[in-house]
Amino acid sequence: MKIKIASIYVNDQEKALRFYTEVLGFVKKSDFSNGPFRWLTVASAEEPNGVELQLALNDNPVAKTYQQGLFDKNQPAMLFNVDDVQKEYDRMKPLGADFTMPPTKTTGSTIAVLKDTCGNLVQLVALDRWEKK
Amino acid sequence: MITRENYAPGPAAGAHVQKVGDRWTLVLVRELRHSPAKVWDALTDPAELREWAPFDADRNLGEVGAAKLSTVGMPVPIVSETTVTRAEAPRLLEYNWGENDMRWELEPLGAGTRLTLWHNIGRKFVAMGAAGWHICFDVLDTVLAGQPIGRIVGGEAVSFDWKRLRTEYEKQFGNE
Repeated sequence: MKIKIASIYVNDQEKALRFYTEVLGFVKKSDFSNGPFRWLTVASAEEPNGVELQLALNDNPVAKTYQQGLFDKNQPAMLFNVDDVQKEYDRMKPLGADFTMPPTKTTGSTIAVLKDTCGNLVQLVALDRWEKK
Repeated sequence: MITRENYAPGPAAGAHVQKVGDRWTLVLVRELRHSPAKVWDALTDPAELREWAPFDADRNLGEVGAAKLSTVGMPVPIVSETTVTRAEAPRLLEYNWGENDMRWELEPLGAGTRLTLWHNIGRKFVAMGAAGWHICFDVLDTVLAGQPIGRIVGGEAVSFDWKRLRTEYEKQFGNE
């Protein structure tokens, strides 16, 4: 049994695709639709055949409530691992990334939090001791 | 004879968009060489829908009332609580799919049918929707001809030139 898909609710799939590829640097994997439902996923450029992140439209009441709830509590909807948080911050700021928390040292890691333009906060994390494969 | 192996959709055609502000309705017209009664069956009978439609129905759609449509071809199941609001065989069929409304009109055209579908699928989906329906209508034609090539929807449609159709429809609709 494998974990191949993670999912995040977004309020606009086209906007989400732009942010997750052009700002965060993921690559588009799947993009097809059936009627009013669009299956859109991105993957890491470093692991293009690894876990895919589904950018799911939040067009149901549960999704909207859940998404808003996390956002209001300043809770990131998703965590992404990077090697160097400062480097990512410096790269993304000129691209218009809206950080709510700049690179910050915590016990065991460095983190930063930014808005994903589609209703979520997402967190970047670099672990102090990250086992590279 | 068209087979699944040799099937390829033609150029984008037969679709236009009605725009009311940001609310866009996709209008598709297809002329079929089969009678309205036969086309009606293909639009309403679950066994026939399974052969071409982008969803499965849990009952015959030819009667007003509640029904469930299961969207096909997506990695996750999506079931839509649907209401058939008009079912006037063999001319007019109306129901919703998710939050969108669909209206099918069947006009006699000689011995055949002019089939028109209105689908208020919304601005962001019109080109994808047109491409999807284009392929579904092609498959419907093979079902009506008694030589079904099997439904082609969702992820599978990508292998049948869906992206090219989508791009062509995007260009056409952008100019309307």
